[in-house]
Amino acid sequence: MPVEIPVEKWNGQVHQVKLGGAGGRKELVVGGENTLPFLKFEGNIPHRPAVAIEVVDQPPQGWAEPLVKAWGNVLQDPAAWAKKAAEYGADLISLRLRSAHPEEGNTGADHARKVVAAVLAAVDLPVIVLGPEVAQKDNEVLVAASEVGRGQRLGLGDCLDKNYRTIGATCLADGHVAIAKTPIDMNLAKQLNILLSDLGLPLDAILMDPTTGALGYGLEYTYSVMERLRITALMGDKMTSPPMICTAGEESWRQKESKATAGVPQSWGEQEQRAILWEKITAIGLLNAGANVIVLRHPRTVEDVKAAINKLSA
Amino acid sequence: MALTGIEIYKFLPKTNCKKCGFPTCLAFAMKVAQKTVNITTCPDLSAESRAALEAAGRPPIQLVTLGSDSKKLEVGNETVMFRHEKTFFHPPGLVLRVKDNAPADSLQQQVQAAAEYKVERVGRFLTMDGFAVENTSKDAATFAKAVEAVKSKSDLPLVLISQDPAAMEAALAKATPGRPLIYAANKDNWEKMADLAVKNKCPLAVSSNGALDDLTALVDQVSKKGIEEIVLDPGARDFGPSLSTLTQIRRLALKKNFRPLGYPVITFPGEAAASLDTEAMLAAQQVAKYAGIIVLDHFSPALVYPLLTMRLNIYTDPQKPIQVTPQIVQIGTPKATSPVCITTNFSLTYFAIAGELEAAGWAAWLVVCDTEGLSVLTAWAAGKFDAEKIAKSVKNFKIADNVSHRNVVIPGHVAVLRGELEEELPDWKILVGPREAVDVGGFLKQNWKN
Amino acid sequence: MSRFIATAAIRGARAIVDEADKLLTDAVQKLGPDTPVAFPNTTYFLPVIYGLTAHKVQKLSDLNWPLQHAKDLLPPVPRGNLWLPYLGETLDAGMATLYAEEIIEGVRWAKGEQPEVRNGYKLNGPIDDVQMRAWGIQMVDGRMPGFAAIIGAAKSNEVAVKIVRELQSKGQLVFLIGNNKGRSIIDQLLESGVELGYDTFTVTFGTDTVSAIYALGYATRAGISFGGFKAGDARANLLYNKFRCFAFALALGPVDDLKYATAAGAINYGFPVIADTAIPNILPTGVTKYEHVVSLPFDDIAGKDDLEKAERLVQRCIEIRGIKIKVAQIKIPVAYGPAFEGEVVRKENLRVEFGGKGGMAFEWLQTKNLDEVEDGKITVVGPELDDAPMGSKMPLAIMVDVAGRKMNKDFEPVLERQIHHFTNGAEGIQHMGQRDITWIRFSKSAVSKGFHIKNIGDILHAAFHNQFGAIVDKIQITLYTDPAKVKDLLEQARVVYQERNVRTANLTDEAVDTYYSCSLCQSFAPTHICVINPERVGLCGAYNWLDCRASYEINPRGPNQPVPKGAVVDASKGEWEGSNKFVYEHTNMAVQRMTLYSLMDAPMTTCGCCECVMVLLPETNGVMIVSRDDYGQTPSGMTFTSLMGTVGGGLQTPGMMGHGKFYILSKKFISKEGGIKRVVWLSKNLKEEMAEELKEVCEREGVPDLMDKIADGTICTTVEQLVPWLQEKGHPALAMDAILQ
Repeated sequence: MPVEIPVEKWNGQVHQVKLGGAGGRKELVVGGENTLPFLKFEGNIPHRPAVAIEVVDQPPQGWAEPLVKAWGNVLQDPAAWAKKAAEYGADLISLRLRSAHPEEGNTGADHARKVVAAVLAAVDLPVIVLGPEVAQKDNEVLVAASEVGRGQRLGLGDCLDKNYRTIGATCLADGHVAIAKTPIDMNLAKQLNILLSDLGLPLDAILMDPTTGALGYGLEYTYSVMERLRITALMGDKMTSPPMICTAGEESWRQKESKATAGVPQSWGEQEQRAILWEKITAIGLLNAGANVIVLRHPRTVEDVKAAINKLSA
Repeated sequence: MALTGIEIYKFLPKTNCKKCGFPTCLAFAMKVAQKTVNITTCPDLSAESRAALEAAGRPPIQLVTLGSDSKKLEVGNETVMFRHEKTFFHPPGLVLRVKDNAPADSLQQQVQAAAEYKVERVGRFLTMDGFAVENTSKDAATFAKAVEAVKSKSDLPLVLISQDPAAMEAALAKATPGRPLIYAANKDNWEKMADLAVKNKCPLAVSSNGALDDLTALVDQVSKKGIEEIVLDPGARDFGPSLSTLTQIRRLALKKNFRPLGYPVITFPGEAAASLDTEAMLAAQQVAKYAGIIVLDHFSPALVYPLLTMRLNIYTDPQKPIQVTPQIVQIGTPKATSPVCITTNFSLTYFAIAGELEAAGWAAWLVVCDTEGLSVLTAWAAGKFDAEKIAKSVKNFKIADNVSHRNVVIPGHVAVLRGELEEELPDWKILVGPREAVDVGGFLKQNWKN
Repeated sequence: MSRFIATAAIRGARAIVDEADKLLTDAVQKLGPDTPVAFPNTTYFLPVIYGLTAHKVQKLSDLNWPLQHAKDLLPPVPRGNLWLPYLGETLDAGMATLYAEEIIEGVRWAKGEQPEVRNGYKLNGPIDDVQMRAWGIQMVDGRMPGFAAIIGAAKSNEVAVKIVRELQSKGQLVFLIGNNKGRSIIDQLLESGVELGYDTFTVTFGTDTVSAIYALGYATRAGISFGGFKAGDARANLLYNKFRCFAFALALGPVDDLKYATAAGAINYGFPVIADTAIPNILPTGVTKYEHVVSLPFDDIAGKDDLEKAERLVQRCIEIRGIKIKVAQIKIPVAYGPAFEGEVVRKENLRVEFGGKGGMAFEWLQTKNLDEVEDGKITVVGPELDDAPMGSKMPLAIMVDVAGRKMNKDFEPVLERQIHHFTNGAEGIQHMGQRDITWIRFSKSAVSKGFHIKNIGDILHAAFHNQFGAIVDKIQITLYTDPAKVKDLLEQARVVYQERNVRTANLTDEAVDTYYSCSLCQSFAPTHICVINPERVGLCGAYNWLDCRASYEINPRGPNQPVPKGAVVDASKGEWEGSNKFVYEHTNMAVQRMTLYSLMDAPMTTCGCCECVMVLLPETNGVMIVSRDDYGQTPSGMTFTSLMGTVGGGLQTPGMMGHGKFYILSKKFISKEGGIKRVVWLSKNLKEEMAEELKEVCEREGVPDLMDKIADGTICTTVEQLVPWLQEKGHPALAMDAILQ
């Protein structure tokens, strides 16, 4: 008896979002699918998920040994770091302006301009610029970054409910994409998209960051919020249809499982393998939930995650 | 259309006899409607009622049980495509594959290490679920011996892997009555394998590398032999095929109520992976996307710990907040002068505040209050995080014995509790912390002198 | 439309277009058609022309097309005997004026005559792109409300300074333009030593009316930069400025034809014009957000002197443009913030208290007309606290008058309840209760730092603006401490409280066509949505219909959305097409229909925060209700917690339902199943807490002795015990129609 393969008829599709593609920057398009992640048997998936590598604008504090070992000297120099990231196969760079944090350097707009210009000069990949996660400082350094990258279609974030007007307007003015971040809640994610749309920012200039919970630290919440957002988008709700970006690297490498070298149960196993696998599994989980851009830290994760994406997209 | 609790109740004896383990017939009916209890649990159900209810209430994916009663592995009986729709009930079994031609001592070592492995997470111990013994030698006696060797080190459920009915029979002789899974019936050997399954009362895996049509035909054939507990191997191995095929099978079972594929699926991530990490990643995907039994080819703590954590995450009931154990948690190595902070035992709240304290480089005493897994505001609104509760935790956990000061930081969202808390804890000074965990580092920097 | 204004504006437009024509012809002859034309430091060419038509002006000959365009727009001057609406003509004349003015400034730049130098002071001229972007972002993100273009000259230098200072204090950007008989506000400010420039948010454009075009050029460029549309999309640009840019023009002194014509141009952008002289008003709203042209003759403004008049003038401008005020800092002598909300002021630390046992204190918030409220006015009537003995009681009436274009009398109680929350945020101040059970304590330390009764007004003024700015435009607070006055007002207030009670009681589901949703709990119960109707509170008990409506007005994108009832599906069950559709769409299509008055058929889903759970007890033909605070066993065989495990998480479970406790008192309480007569068991604490109200309800339902027939945990906790008890008492449910069909 022939089995009829069950195919869902979705009315909606994920918006296509372009990063780069102007000002000498390579073009990267994510989104556009009209089915659930990687289900090519029922829909069209024009673009595979992209892998970003995180670069920080000052030598990162408290990073786990395996990361420090893997990157070595480039940690001192964001431009060199970005270049190296490109060699490791990044589709785009996610530059975190950490030094602008009031307690970690409190640098301002001038410094942001310099760093962003240096990274933009070093690589021709699309670039996302993220602030220090303090709304007021975000506004200061991101507006500066925006001007430097004007017309090069960067990603700018985090665009939160607190500062969405500033970041949204900046994106509009300079032709960038807003990274709209909300705290693991479908309705808040949708609300922020509506607010940005009200501002005039088109939905194809938004990437949603649903806030990543790492493996063992709320992954399941992020996973389900992403599945819900994606299903709603496919059912035709435009306000949940921007592609999603997940900071898998940053979140998984924050955790004790990734950082601890000693004083942990033997059942945790060897640190380096455990830590890298923590990042890899966080990433593969989120990709299956619908991540369109996944931001990673360790080069070996990048290699394996890219390979997995290729296999899932083949 | 699923029946509501009320509709089911109408079929019940309405005696409130409590023999089903529930206080009233209505309470039982509600649970049956949610498909968390089987209607057959009611001992006094009339034959007609039973028939009527079973037709409506039959789980779309068969529950399959491996192993003996004391160490059993139950898989299947899932009711939703996405965990947020309800929950995923039966976590996939993680079993380690060993080969029968491996030297006896190395085989036993492998088994022992995996069988003894356990890791603690949020108050629960996570372990491996069993072993798959493969008849690599193609020799019946070697196979049987290997099964014996595995059983000597572990009483966990087994999967027996052989295409040869004779070898399978020899192995079954050593493995039963432990209800091992027979892997696998294929288009050539299905009849004999099915007979073995019937004879030994074991679940049977059915394997086909072709299209789902072939698998369906095979399942039909073995079902006709009277086998109810079946496990499917559709032959999909790598990331892409595994996701597509397992999704299709799950959809057919749940959405089309397609009985021939209404069974759990067994996967072999190691067969498509060039490295240990890739095997673990593929296994992780299969945890989320619809595997019932996952056969691993490698075992090491660093590999299994993240995988077990993934399984714990995905199979958490999304409608019940996950709780951490109420206790004093030491963040870093706190001293007598370190801050004392109060939080709730909702996992995300706890992770957020613990993570931020750690990230900001503070050693601290974190008092985790029992709020039944609710977050700060929700718990406060529900009366589960009031001054009395906080004071009780501060006193019961004897935090005063650990510190030389008497200052305690409460979450900013419950600033309103300050006055009452001053009454409840007259020796303590109540500091109102920030509303968001992310601001705790800055708050302590300004307000705490070590 | 005023015929007078239309005539003047059209006349002015014809004159200025003619002037532009002559000027351009002359310049082309003298300098040649290829002479470059550009405003400095901008990439938007001549921005009004570019923004509205996409025409790029780079040399003198490029000005011919816009000039022709202006001529084409010019309407004829209305004849004296003809009376028409004129609005379209006037607006066209305004556009023609703007093009002509920009052409004139363009030519002036080409001729090197700009920026203007006045008595040795070099004026700014047009705003450069860098500054435009910096301010543009602030206008979009709300840090800067908008700009005020002042045209002409004030009555005196002091008045000029006062007007500018007032605007600056409201965060407005100030553009300075034009003259009156040769005297410009720029002269007035410079003579008074006022610092002018980007740093002080004051920009000097020019001393003739034509330079007003720079203000519109600024608005046009900000629109293109931050509005998400392209040059040439005139409609989008004008709408953007109307809704997003809170700008207005303030004409000081007599208004001549050119000023009328320029004003007509500004109205195209949605910018109203306010004149401090007597001219006809154009009040019907439409093109601008509110009024178009408003005349506020300076000398007629109420005020003890010119400075106060100036202050009122600015206040009125702000209202007319609908600019929302944010009070960045609450100016009180003690710290303010959520961290102080839980403070308790104890007897030993008490300086003075209001209300409480044996005291008299109350709060009364009322809606007034906009012209009846002076924003920020705080008055204490009666003695301040200074002479009050230590630890003594004072009488207090907190009278809050609010006005706002979106304010609604129904929001009064919603806002009034916030006084508690707002006042509590001050360090050393404790607030309890509401209405006439208000009880406030000031601590010794707060008073020693200088906290006074008046400061309650400061807090309320700032907090209402900041949190309810969407519905409240003006707030004034009067604090009475005079005993006789307080007593008198209290009596009036009690009448109003009673009226409100009656109003709430009379607010029926039938009386409204819209319910409200609440999706706050969807984060953990994705398929749960509350539908809140006047006669049923949200199941958490925290939100009623009025709260939700106010919440929607304040935050139209928030968790409370209007649910149009639509056609009735079944009135007895409380089922409507509109609510069904809403529920279906907002639960990921998990819940297909939901009734509001029935327990047995498609009842509301339950999240996790309900105050009570109602459960069918088939053996009794009735229902039981257990409250969240009741930890005991119930006749359903389950405690509240285990019941939550069955119904919680967004499930629709016929026969079980979470609800708010006040729902029990509603006329719509499971009316499909027969209402309160079905209740056979009720948690003891609810019985006690709501004894009076329940008694009333039982009387209303014609079963005055019902409460004696409803069991509770002290009577029995099993259904086996319950049934005989009910039979003994003769509970009405036993004789009702079978609840289980």
